[in-house]
Amino acid sequence: MQDQHIASAFDRDLEAIQAQIMKMGGLVENAILEAAISLETRDEERAELVRKGDKAIDALEEMINEEAARVIALRAPTAIDLRLVLSVIKVSANLERIGDYAKNLAKRTSVLSQMAPVNDSAGALRRMAKEVERMLKDALDAYIARDAELAQDVIDRDAEVDQMYNALFREFLTFMMEDPRNITACMHLHFIAKNIERMGDHVTSIAEQVVYLVTGATPDETRQKADKTSLQA
Amino acid sequence: MNDMRIVERDVETNDVKIAAKDVQVHYGDTHAIKDVSVDIEDKTVTAFIGPSGCGKSTFLRCINRMNDTIDVCRVTGDIRIDDQDIYDPKVDPVQLRAKVGMVFQKPNPFPKSIYDNVAYGPRIHGLAKNKSDLDDIVERSLRRGAIWEEVKDRLHAPGTGLSGGQQQRLCIARAVATEPEVLLMDEPCSALDPIATAQVEELIDELRENYSVVIVTHSMQQAARVSQKTAFFHLGNLVEYGETGQIFTNPTDPRTESYITGRIG
Repeated sequence: MQDQHIASAFDRDLEAIQAQIMKMGGLVENAILEAAISLETRDEERAELVRKGDKAIDALEEMINEEAARVIALRAPTAIDLRLVLSVIKVSANLERIGDYAKNLAKRTSVLSQMAPVNDSAGALRRMAKEVERMLKDALDAYIARDAELAQDVIDRDAEVDQMYNALFREFLTFMMEDPRNITACMHLHFIAKNIERMGDHVTSIAEQVVYLVTGATPDETRQKADKTSLQA
Repeated sequence: MNDMRIVERDVETNDVKIAAKDVQVHYGDTHAIKDVSVDIEDKTVTAFIGPSGCGKSTFLRCINRMNDTIDVCRVTGDIRIDDQDIYDPKVDPVQLRAKVGMVFQKPNPFPKSIYDNVAYGPRIHGLAKNKSDLDDIVERSLRRGAIWEEVKDRLHAPGTGLSGGQQQRLCIARAVATEPEVLLMDEPCSALDPIATAQVEELIDELRENYSVVIVTHSMQQAARVSQKTAFFHLGNLVEYGETGQIFTNPTDPRTESYITGRIG
């Protein structure tokens, strides 16, 4: 297939909305990392910057949706072009949600920094966030490179994030049973762990959009829920 | 963050090229254009859309006084190009039409060679000093018409021997040869296949750098694809005129919305 449209302006429109997705992705990646670092280092100012930064992410999502609507109205995209525009709308929604979770993490950081630290849980959460950020980076790289294999790899890696979450869940439960004074902090930390786990799900959804964009079909949900920890407790 | 917007549809200038005010057109007893006022910008593609008989072609033909040739047609009101009243008795319609080029629905090359088709206008308007000057004009115009590569080895073959899409691009090359400032196009792609249409549309987008282009089209998708500004005509009235993206995503007049969504025709 030819790479370019006869109407070069159409190519420029499509490139522009993808560039906006990439810009949004960059901001979200940064928000995840910064939020996790501010949690580990108990840096309230840094957390505040993450909270403020979420506005730019939300504004980009709105702009991307507007531009996608314009491209549909003005260019009537078909086949791969249509899939691209549809995927842009979904990916921007996923990125926006991840941004919200990072903001929530930062919010809890300012509460947690007033309390005694619970073991090394902040370090474990940062490692988990780092893993999600890496997955997001790969998912976005796969998006631009139209690389369905890399996207599938990202989908598979979500199982590791789920595992990390389950391990943390058990740990927090143990701390709370040991000493009720840990409950407030552990509740916040658990929400953070859960939010990072949800970020992983949104990254997975982005990777699924890559597979849809490249192949025209959404990947089968073959992955089994391996661990039922959070259901049994 | 605005640098991230799709800059494509930005209009670089807001200079008004064609200013029409209170234009009325009558064909005998028929009131074809009712009180239309519109400012058409320079270096912009403006599309006129609307159902058949809504007056869009009639209005287009007012801009280079093509309606003068119809006896029963009466045009009143004020149409100015670069602030010059084009219906002023001092204005020579032939000179006006050199400045305001036109491309028609059906490709209509002269029964002459490709070269002579393009050279015709520059010759009668005395735009070329000598033969090599004329050669340059012909080549430049054919390049602008995006047809040079296809015809450069057979410039003296008859223009009528080209394919429909090539003939239409030849007509566009002929229209730009006199260096017009405004290019009027009346359904320029309705006789073309999708690929030739896409080529002509790409060409229109390039012409926008130098000209003010006004295109009448029945294809709303074509208007959406090529124009920066869109005007919707209905029953001789100009219903809505605005930025193309706005017209096609969020029109203000319910009649515009009904038309573009296929609810009235």
